[in-house]
Amino acid sequence: MAKWGMVIDLEKCTGCQACSTACQMENNRLPGENYQDVLYYTEGRQPTPTLKWFPRPCMHCEEPSCMHVCPTKATYKTEDGVVLIDWDKCIGCKYCMIACPYGVRFYTDEKPLIEPNIKQVFKGDGDLSWNPPYKGPQQDPKHGVGIQPNGVVSKCNFCYHKISKAPKGTPDLDESNPELVEYVPACVRTCAPKARYFGDLDNPNSQVSRLISDKQGTRLLDHTGNKPQVYYVSGGGAASGAVPGTRSNKKA
Amino acid sequence: MATQTQGSGGAVSAVLMAGLAGLVVSLGIAFFNLLSGGHSAFNTGSDGVSWGLPVVNYVFFALTSTGLTLVASVAMTFGNKAWYPIAKRCVWLSLVTLVAGFASLALELGHPFRMLWAIPLNAQLVSPLNWMGIFYAVFLVLGILKFLRIHNGDWNSSTSKQIGLAALVTELLAGGMLGMAFGAMAMRPMWYGNLVPLYFILTAACTGAAFAVLVTCLSYDSEETMPAQVRTLMRGPLPTAFAGLLGITILVIGYRTVIGLWSNADGLQVWDAIVASPWYWIEAALLIGAFFLLLQRKALALASVMVIGGFFIDRYDFVIGGQLAPLFKGSWVPDLIAYTPSTTEWMLTLLAFSIAFLGWALGEKLLKLDAAPQD
Repeated sequence: MAKWGMVIDLEKCTGCQACSTACQMENNRLPGENYQDVLYYTEGRQPTPTLKWFPRPCMHCEEPSCMHVCPTKATYKTEDGVVLIDWDKCIGCKYCMIACPYGVRFYTDEKPLIEPNIKQVFKGDGDLSWNPPYKGPQQDPKHGVGIQPNGVVSKCNFCYHKISKAPKGTPDLDESNPELVEYVPACVRTCAPKARYFGDLDNPNSQVSRLISDKQGTRLLDHTGNKPQVYYVSGGGAASGAVPGTRSNKKA
Repeated sequence: MATQTQGSGGAVSAVLMAGLAGLVVSLGIAFFNLLSGGHSAFNTGSDGVSWGLPVVNYVFFALTSTGLTLVASVAMTFGNKAWYPIAKRCVWLSLVTLVAGFASLALELGHPFRMLWAIPLNAQLVSPLNWMGIFYAVFLVLGILKFLRIHNGDWNSSTSKQIGLAALVTELLAGGMLGMAFGAMAMRPMWYGNLVPLYFILTAACTGAAFAVLVTCLSYDSEETMPAQVRTLMRGPLPTAFAGLLGITILVIGYRTVIGLWSNADGLQVWDAIVASPWYWIEAALLIGAFFLLLQRKALALASVMVIGGFFIDRYDFVIGGQLAPLFKGSWVPDLIAYTPSTTEWMLTLLAFSIAFLGWALGEKLLKLDAAPQD
């Protein structure tokens, strides 16, 4: 069984947010509730401030604190290493949002980020939070895939509706391979500078494993012990990106 | 069973009417807003404070329930007979305060009814929240059983004492688990620490004692109309023990503050904001002022109200403060998240206080809460 993971090359990432947009469309996300986000940081002071960016999906941790705190086991880890939410079991206590060090979980029953409220414009059927004009074909609440229902928490699922159908034993889901492209997560498939790689972390011959080894892949907030399955690589030069060491870019 | 002589009950009736009015108003406004807008009626958000004022209410009242059980146990478990005159009142109040906390929490959850089957059928054994729920639910059953026993005059049978002891143990475990739910969060340094369960139990004892003293004062028109045993307790052991507890707690709060201000750990910068807020100093003034009133054994009802107010601020600063330093959100999120509870959230606070005081007043009217064993 594969252990799916992602590598993001910060030297290649241009901060274009195509990944966020593709994710929004693929997963029917509302504005401000992006499973995949690119965070922007202003570093330095005038007259030489620099703009930095940092792409941040769910880390799908090896030891996910969100899973351990969930009182109903609604958050769980699949055999292939993906952290998912069973929306039918989630009680909306939001403890997982408290326990996630990366801030990548979303409760949709909140004040809208922008007006008009998209949820009021496209009112959802039944328990669904909204009814997007474009919908993916999948609605799989057991794996937290599709339109988010009211009263539950959601998060990036590594496009589980795609990767779970990939041929067994595939070391990498490479969007440039026509036979595999339909199984590639939306953010990886759409990344124009090819800064994202998705594959089997347990396979030493996969591209993700080689990248982590060759370019000394690092993980966000490794000291928390969550052990993310998303790795960042960088050339280490002054112009390239780096993994932020703190949660906010500056102290109060 | 002996029933003490109560005053005219004017204060109890007034509290009953106020509690009823508060219940109707808060339920009316909260339900209207929640039914029309869902949880967008709260000012909580995924980019900011996920656990808002309704969780503060829950923590405050659940821990008050633990504290009241501790106060009741002084007589019923540890055998100090001088504390019997307030024991039944404390047992009853520990039940209604827990219901008050649960009510606020239930209206905060996305699916409160799903919780009833989802937790028992899928219990996550390593989740502090799961065990907290189990222990508080078990206490609710044991507390009701214990109250029925003493209501029927069975104060000292072996079964009654065993139920009382089990209730005390489950309440301590529940309060400790609630502390662990926060204290285990290494990613949120404001909360993190292996002594948080102890801090919760210590502060629980303070709010429990405050409620016990307040409702005892309200049950009688004045100190002169109190039965001799109650007056003796209220003039000596109770305020003395209460002052001792409060004094230790004030020291602990002071040390927590200094450590928070001293440390450079990312996330602890929230202490600067907490101390810069007038609410912190109002809390300090209330708790220190109450401490001196208790030492002088004066104005006990006022001291209790001050302690309740001070600890409500403390719970707010703790629960909300732990979330104010943003997680990885980028430059467009401020250094510290701004959060002000909405009207609906305040209505849940009013709801919880109304349930607690209405429940107590009803108990006082109907259940002879001043009863104590004859020997």
